[in-house]
Amino acid sequence: MRSLVPITIDTTWVAVDMATVREIGGPLTWIALPTASAALPGVAAWRGRAVAVADLAAVLGAGERLAAKTGRVRTLYVQHGASMLAVPVDTVREPLVVADGEIRPPRIRNEAFCTGEVEVEGHTTLVVDLGVLLDAYRPAAAGVAH
Amino acid sequence: MAAVSMVHIQDPRVRWCVRAARVLRIMPAAEWNAAPPVDVLAALGPMPRGGARTRRVVVVEAADRRETALLAAGAIDVGDVDAAAVLPLPELLAGATPQIAAIIVAPDASLSLLVELAAVITPVPWPVPAACARGW
Repeated sequence: MRSLVPITIDTTWVAVDMATVREIGGPLTWIALPTASAALPGVAAWRGRAVAVADLAAVLGAGERLAAKTGRVRTLYVQHGASMLAVPVDTVREPLVVADGEIRPPRIRNEAFCTGEVEVEGHTTLVVDLGVLLDAYRPAAAGVAH
Repeated sequence: MAAVSMVHIQDPRVRWCVRAARVLRIMPAAEWNAAPPVDVLAALGPMPRGGARTRRVVVVEAADRRETALLAAGAIDVGDVDAAAVLPLPELLAGATPQIAAIIVAPDASLSLLVELAAVITPVPWPVPAACARGW
């Protein structure tokens, strides 16, 4: 059995592992970073620390990319190892428990972070492993340019 | 509260600041004649148009102890920040963004970037091409 939190970004349905979710909040105040990537465009403050902002819309090609002065109405704070991520989303649906057999291999995407598909409220929902996604988009350390 | 004095720049792209203790002076950009000034937000987009004649530079002592000018596009003010509101970048991003040391959370929850002067050494073209200057 797996506990999943379904979320939506534009019209795309995604589910993430409930165990990684530390908090669900409202709209995110964040700031863009120079040299940031489309997947990790900036940083936000959360519980007295700075956390990376992940733009799932950019990663999935789902909806408009996150813009500094427009946000999404919900934020998922998720943890992978020592890394915390703030993930702005449009909606967060009720968490659900699904049997492993209900999760079928992904058909609509083939990236490593897409670990399966499940039906939620009549929508094909992509099960995303945010840890794998984070490893795939982890920014490389920059050298200091002279 | 422990306070840190900062020089804040209200850049239209992103608000940023440097520690006031590292600022030597603030002067009109047109009067700066040494090495080309640095646009610390160049990666976020071009310098905002307008105000070229009144644009200023924040002159700081860089890591090599030489004076470095940072282009300031926007209003400048000096103010204290609660040290607890200075949040270092997470490890995930710090290595890829060495020119930013931290974010600063204002009392209204808005954010600004604290520039890491040791990493700010990439100049922008200077003097400004005439075609650009006309549009500013």
